[in-house]
Amino acid sequence: MPARWRYILAEALVGLRRNLLMTLAVILSVAVSLTLLGASLLLRDQVQLATGQFEDQIQVSIFLCDGRLCPEITPEQRANLQGELEGDPLVELVIFESKQEAYENFKEAFKNDPELVATVTPDTLPASFRVKLINPEEYSIIKARFEAWPGVESIVDQGEVLEEIFSIINVFQQGAIIVAVIQLIAASVLIANTIRVAAFARREQTSIMKLVGASNWYIRLPFVLEGVIAGTIGAAVSWVLLLVAIPRVTSRLTDEIPFTPFIGLEEVIFIAPWLFGAGILIAATSSIVSLRRFLDV
Amino acid sequence: MITLRNVSKTYKRGEKGEVEALKDVSLEVGKGEFVFIVGPSGSGKSTMMKLLTREERPDAGELFVAGKNLSTLKPWKVPLLRRQIGYVFQDFKLLPNKTVAENVAFALEVIGKSRHVMQKRVPEVLELVGLEEKSDALPHELSGGQQQRVSIARAFVNAPRILLCDEPTGNLDPQTSVGIMKLLDRINRTGATVVMATHDQHIVDSMRRRVVELEHGVVVRDQSRGVYGYAG
Repeated sequence: MPARWRYILAEALVGLRRNLLMTLAVILSVAVSLTLLGASLLLRDQVQLATGQFEDQIQVSIFLCDGRLCPEITPEQRANLQGELEGDPLVELVIFESKQEAYENFKEAFKNDPELVATVTPDTLPASFRVKLINPEEYSIIKARFEAWPGVESIVDQGEVLEEIFSIINVFQQGAIIVAVIQLIAASVLIANTIRVAAFARREQTSIMKLVGASNWYIRLPFVLEGVIAGTIGAAVSWVLLLVAIPRVTSRLTDEIPFTPFIGLEEVIFIAPWLFGAGILIAATSSIVSLRRFLDV
Repeated sequence: MITLRNVSKTYKRGEKGEVEALKDVSLEVGKGEFVFIVGPSGSGKSTMMKLLTREERPDAGELFVAGKNLSTLKPWKVPLLRRQIGYVFQDFKLLPNKTVAENVAFALEVIGKSRHVMQKRVPEVLELVGLEEKSDALPHELSGGQQQRVSIARAFVNAPRILLCDEPTGNLDPQTSVGIMKLLDRINRTGATVVMATHDQHIVDSMRRRVVELEHGVVVRDQSRGVYGYAG
């Protein structure tokens, strides 16, 4: 068994070395396409992180007075307000977020920015009612109605702010995915062609192997492995690129755009299975397909 | 060892052209026999060789090689069939960047034999073909006759039951050819069945073995101690 694998691996490496320029082209094109794929996946992570768990639930935040800008809301006022909101025909859902909960959510959202978290205590953030409207367009009615309510500090339509940002990010993300897919198709065609050239270069050896009774997989595996090794290196390159680039970009963005959580190293590390999986799958599939007709018994 | 029953093979050439390479051929080759397949170019010799190794499949008829029915043989079992057949080419087909010993070992390596088996069998078979001194030479450093000996060593290293030789002396001078024939004769005496397609009248006449003559895809003669042609 080891003797077998030694042969297959040795042949694959010989093929890669003999065809160095083609190998480099494959590695680069896989790396470029997977970097784009990884970037678009990370963008999706970023959007999810920033929108938080209430992504499409919360459209309106009603922040409550805590005694700093206006006299602290009394428990009766709060109960009244909650009852009024829940009874309002425009409102679908009301969630109360206490000061402590607001702090916990903040800590979770900004876990990559400990300096920011350190400036905040459980007392800093106001408690709020988070309100989902049946029809988000009716925000102004709610605002007009509850703005002057006793104990209400301010009302913010978060949906409006977020939607604008995320519609832009979505365009970027979809664009990146489309380009990544086109690149991946190009990369797989390149791999198929490289493997075909490699098989053609060794057709003499292959024909001898067939006649002495080497099994089909014994003949094909070195070529498939050749593609898979190149694909894996390409995936590794794209991963390293993202590992280096993403934390730099997000740390700069953290400075420029305050109060928005950004993804960090952890998310990039967890994207590895996608990159390697896609790289290996595409390399193996296109190698096998390109060999199917060429090396049949 | 080899049985052909009413075997026909037609190649399609272009739109309408068809070439009948073998027409209703029946042939029986017993264990340990030495058979010459003779006939002019295009008579069907190569087609017959390709059918025996299942590079091609017959259009009609039945074909048995080493106890296997080639018509019903599953594709994944074809390599197992070929491990029982040694194949010798006219143009040797040695790998130019491998040494003599590596070329022979290659046949064992690619069917998954262990290093231990290679270390034992390769020197044995190189001694059989008389090239134990040349085991580290590269093919281009050898004469044509020596290269053909290497190719025979490679075909025989896995101890096949059948040795198929396609014009093995076609590229060699008469004297070298005699040496190759002596080697094939020696291999035949170890019990291997040898089938040799050839044009070489001189060799066929001197060996006095069974001769099967093909013409336009038909067996026109099958003589047990034959010569190349009636006139010869």
